[in-house]
Amino acid sequence: MTQPFRIDGGQIDRSETLKFQWNDRWLSGHPGDTLASALLANGVRLVGRSFKYHRPRGIFSAGSEEPNALVQLRKGAAQEPNTRATVAELYDGLYATSQNHRGSLEWDLLAANDLLSPFLSAGFYYKTFMWPKAFWERLYEPMIRAAAGLGRLSKRADPDSYDHGYLHCDLLIIGAGPAGLAAALAAGRAGARVILADEDFRMGGRLNAETHEVAGKPGADWARDAVAELATIDNVRLMPRTTVYGAYDHGIYGALERKTDHLASSDSKPRQVLWRVYSKRALLTAGATERSIAFGNNDRPGVMLAGAVRAYANRFGVAPGKRVAVFTNNDDGLRTASDLRSKGIEVTAILDARKGETVTNTKGRKAVRSITTGAGATIPVDCLAVSGGWSPNVHLTCHHRGRPVWRDDIAAFVPGDGLPPGMRVAGAANGTMTLAHALRDGHDTATQIAADLGHHASTGIPPSASDDPTAISAFWHVTASPARAWVDLQNDVTTKDIKQSHQEGFRAVEHLKRYTTLGMATDQGKTANVLGLAIMAEAAGKSIPETGTTIFRPPYTPVPIGAFAGRARGKDFRPTRLTPSHTWAVENGADFVEAGMWLRAQWFRKPGEKGWRDSVDREVIQTRKSVGICDVTTLGKVDIQGRDAAEFLNRVYSNAFLKLPVGKVRYGLMLREDGMVYDDGTTARLGETHYVMTTTTANAVLVFRNLEFARQCLWPDLDVHLISTTDAWAQFAVAGPKSRALLQKVVDDLDLSNEAFPFMACTECTVFGGTPARLFRISFSGELAYEVAVPARYGDAMIRGLMAAGEEFGVVPYGTEALGVMRIEKGHVAGNELNGQTTALSIGLGGMVSKKKDAIGSKLSERPALAREDGLRLVGLRPVDKTRDLIAGAHFLVPGDPADMAHDQGWLTSVAYSPELGHSIGLGFLKNGHTRMGEVLRAYSPVRGGDMEVEVCSSHHIDPEGVRQRG
Amino acid sequence: MAEFSFPLDARPTLDGTDIAIGGNRIVARTDLALVSVATPLGGDAALTRALQDGLGLALPAPTLSTIAGEMRAIRTAPDQLLLAFPHPTPDARGVIDAKLGNTGYTTDQTDAWVILEASGPDTLAALERLCPLDVHTFEVGGSGRSMMEHMGALIIRTGPHAFWLMSASSSAGSFLHAVETSFRNVVTV
Amino acid sequence: MIINHPLLGPRDAAEFTYPGDASLIHRPDGQTASEEEMHDYLHLRDNPAGTHRELWYHEQGDRSWLVVTRDTLTHEITDVALARDVARAEGRSR
Repeated sequence: MTQPFRIDGGQIDRSETLKFQWNDRWLSGHPGDTLASALLANGVRLVGRSFKYHRPRGIFSAGSEEPNALVQLRKGAAQEPNTRATVAELYDGLYATSQNHRGSLEWDLLAANDLLSPFLSAGFYYKTFMWPKAFWERLYEPMIRAAAGLGRLSKRADPDSYDHGYLHCDLLIIGAGPAGLAAALAAGRAGARVILADEDFRMGGRLNAETHEVAGKPGADWARDAVAELATIDNVRLMPRTTVYGAYDHGIYGALERKTDHLASSDSKPRQVLWRVYSKRALLTAGATERSIAFGNNDRPGVMLAGAVRAYANRFGVAPGKRVAVFTNNDDGLRTASDLRSKGIEVTAILDARKGETVTNTKGRKAVRSITTGAGATIPVDCLAVSGGWSPNVHLTCHHRGRPVWRDDIAAFVPGDGLPPGMRVAGAANGTMTLAHALRDGHDTATQIAADLGHHASTGIPPSASDDPTAISAFWHVTASPARAWVDLQNDVTTKDIKQSHQEGFRAVEHLKRYTTLGMATDQGKTANVLGLAIMAEAAGKSIPETGTTIFRPPYTPVPIGAFAGRARGKDFRPTRLTPSHTWAVENGADFVEAGMWLRAQWFRKPGEKGWRDSVDREVIQTRKSVGICDVTTLGKVDIQGRDAAEFLNRVYSNAFLKLPVGKVRYGLMLREDGMVYDDGTTARLGETHYVMTTTTANAVLVFRNLEFARQCLWPDLDVHLISTTDAWAQFAVAGPKSRALLQKVVDDLDLSNEAFPFMACTECTVFGGTPARLFRISFSGELAYEVAVPARYGDAMIRGLMAAGEEFGVVPYGTEALGVMRIEKGHVAGNELNGQTTALSIGLGGMVSKKKDAIGSKLSERPALAREDGLRLVGLRPVDKTRDLIAGAHFLVPGDPADMAHDQGWLTSVAYSPELGHSIGLGFLKNGHTRMGEVLRAYSPVRGGDMEVEVCSSHHIDPEGVRQRG
Repeated sequence: MAEFSFPLDARPTLDGTDIAIGGNRIVARTDLALVSVATPLGGDAALTRALQDGLGLALPAPTLSTIAGEMRAIRTAPDQLLLAFPHPTPDARGVIDAKLGNTGYTTDQTDAWVILEASGPDTLAALERLCPLDVHTFEVGGSGRSMMEHMGALIIRTGPHAFWLMSASSSAGSFLHAVETSFRNVVTV
Repeated sequence: MIINHPLLGPRDAAEFTYPGDASLIHRPDGQTASEEEMHDYLHLRDNPAGTHRELWYHEQGDRSWLVVTRDTLTHEITDVALARDVARAEGRSR
């Protein structure tokens, strides 16, 4: 377990050794290592295979921009594909494997693709898999799918948990490099509420990777001290391991904090937290990303960005090679040579493009072994450090469609106009490429922002540092290269692909991206985009500004879907609402159905019942014969009070409400403004200025919303007040011929005789010796029926009390299925009929749209097409052969007519087996239905294979005169 | 009196809930009655006076609550208050009506809500995972309606490290689960 | 987005539902309006690229309806008022 490439220095803790597995081989590293630095320390160069050609690939960068070193982390259900080894923090026991090879990493069978590369260039898929058409689904797609992608999912449920959270601040500082740290110190000292977020686990940015001095000490030490000071400021929140991935409206930023990814076990805490950060201002100090130069075979393991080579040597104490060459177009690249030499690493050549020196090719099968220079020399190396200049990380400045602008002097795009409001940019992200300037820029900008927000305490002075030159001369690719030269390593896009894209007419940058896949996938072309653009510009004979650039969308780096989901998984996907009788229902054999968020009892299974129909039939029969009880708490309840409550109701219901007396209930019909039926329910008048409305379960929230709209926006000077009482009251329907006898035992001193408490009466009363209650004589089943409500905390006792009181009558509880059967028997409409396409006229309630007043929807309900006499009407249906079951959704045809939409007569909306009638019954809409009683039609359902004769009848299958409910 | 005798015992939502998580505590406050009071159109002055005279309560500003003795008044809408006070029997509305006369439209809301009293050193950190409002700058006595894990919520800061978290009683189980999970996710011991 | 509620201060737009154009306030009286007027009220909307007055309902909040003036291109919000006050100012009453 030696680490042959480990050298002195760096910010790793050598006092502790961490063991980890790479492709089932045990290796070691130290705290402070990434998986990438530990692999390099162990001499592992080949870490993966490229996307298309399965070329051997190594570690290319030292940060989140990594295009190559994508690995599978952890195993079993926790396996995570496409993790960048350069940001995976090492922990004891870490398990990682390479991906995208068939067979071993060293002997990948799909490496044959590389030999086919002349055929696999840009646009290959579009051109090749077109014909024959029949091959697409059976052959091409499965084949492409099998070969596509990099890592593999475990296909098991993610065992980790994720969380969401909300943070508020004056100033969000994105990136804790020199500019970000200087900014945080300034704003924090000034008294502003600061969040400093950085994707890295160690704050300091490039200061940790370079050998610059700040304030007279090594940059990394200054960064460490700055972080220590910030940690003492109460109004500063430090968030390492946190990527601000998106800029949204009005100062809202999305941030992903990796809480336990660096630990062997999450200890049942959320692995990651997705923060929604509300900021008054934001300062982007995200630094810059180095880019490469395109030359022959520039993708071999060992070819690395120069800045990454310095990061491994300086920060991680790892020699990326023992014989290193440098190829650069700027001064920054030269630092590499001096840093490496100071570490005792041999630098075999420095090739400066500004002097006309180039690398044209590399050799070495699984890692670079030598380079060929433009002068024709072959130089043995095991690492080539390449610097093509630095691209400011402008990504977040583009999230509101801001377009970066080109600066020739630094050969890079910098933030342009159209920044997210409240955002400023400082340091390298703003094109300020020297250290002293970046520190000052961060400090000054944050000082201004703090003052702007009213924080004027002293911010100190910016730390001193040198301003080393970065003189760059744009240089993109070595045209003399004899071999393929890579631009986008992750997507295997070469200079040839870009030229081909141009030749074939895909010249706009957005087309270039889609045609070649340049800049797609996990790295979003962080090291490749500018290079690709420059080569396209060259091919087109245009400047880079003329060629333009693609802009960036969130997220900056990949965010796991699990983090977006947060806790909303499984039963936590949405809240569950329980009725007050839920516990009792569970004890009594209920099966539950989800109705919106509610769990409602569907039926109550008795021992010996073979299926749900047995239970439902029994509940219906016993209710109609004696008495049944159903929890109807889920119906929306709205307390409506005010001097103008009656007037208000009269305007929101299509039927008249002005003259409803105290102590009475009325059925109310609500229309949408376009005249279609919206909702129905009952409203009871409890007092002069006090009403209680019920709505359907499904529409409770929507109706309340519309009522508030009417109250606040349409008639602001009506004195009317709304509050939901849905959850406040437990409400039970008590239905059946014995319901009166049952309730008479329960209510205190209240005469329930038909004379004293007739159909549609209501009252406030008490039950069981003093508990307040509300009693309504209303019926959905068509039987003599009541609804009784008690404060919800008595709901559990109330169902038990009602059942006990009803024992002598053989009372049964019934669920939503029996409720449905009874309403179909009675011909009451429900959701199946009120589907948004039905009018009051079509459900037989045309008389409930008053012409004498203006109410929501009444005007447009009069439109001729809606009011036509021969339109659809609600009817009842029964099978001619009574032994057959009707099929919901079947369409009606006149027997003998062709089965097509031109001859469609309507359809079946609801069907049920009626235990009372002993056969299947249904409700449906039929053209001119009210004039067609007794007609025999064909009910045809090609979808469900149903075809039978049905007879049209009244929608009131039982008790059409309503004798029972009035009895 | 009803001819059939049956003990109609109250079973308030989450009654008896008292959960310790680290040094924190989540308690369901089932001892409190809730009555909403809506201001009649044009009746602001009369209601303000009646609140003062009848209950000793100042009308709270929209983001605040006020206290008189054991009663707290919380502003829940531009023309609506919620009064919370210890009261064991189901006649809270009558109690308030007796004090306010007809200066406000009252509705018993006791069973419409569940009130979780969350307290302890990790409360702010737990609420960061739950509540879009800025809990750090929330003043003691401050109140606000928002949503937590897709559930409508009313939040009141009752002390430096103590909040009332209120939500619909029918989904109280889900709400408690959300609050409890938040504490478990942040607690350090 | 953040809506600066006139009574409550800045609130996340996620607490609101968005029912659309503020012209919905101006509902004609169905007894006197023509069918065309009612139709236009219900269905015809401007779709401006720029300043738009629209209704937001603080459903997970204090149940206020607000009239928000928002630039549809930039999402910049320049004014927020209680819809009830707006409705009154624009002539609606009982």
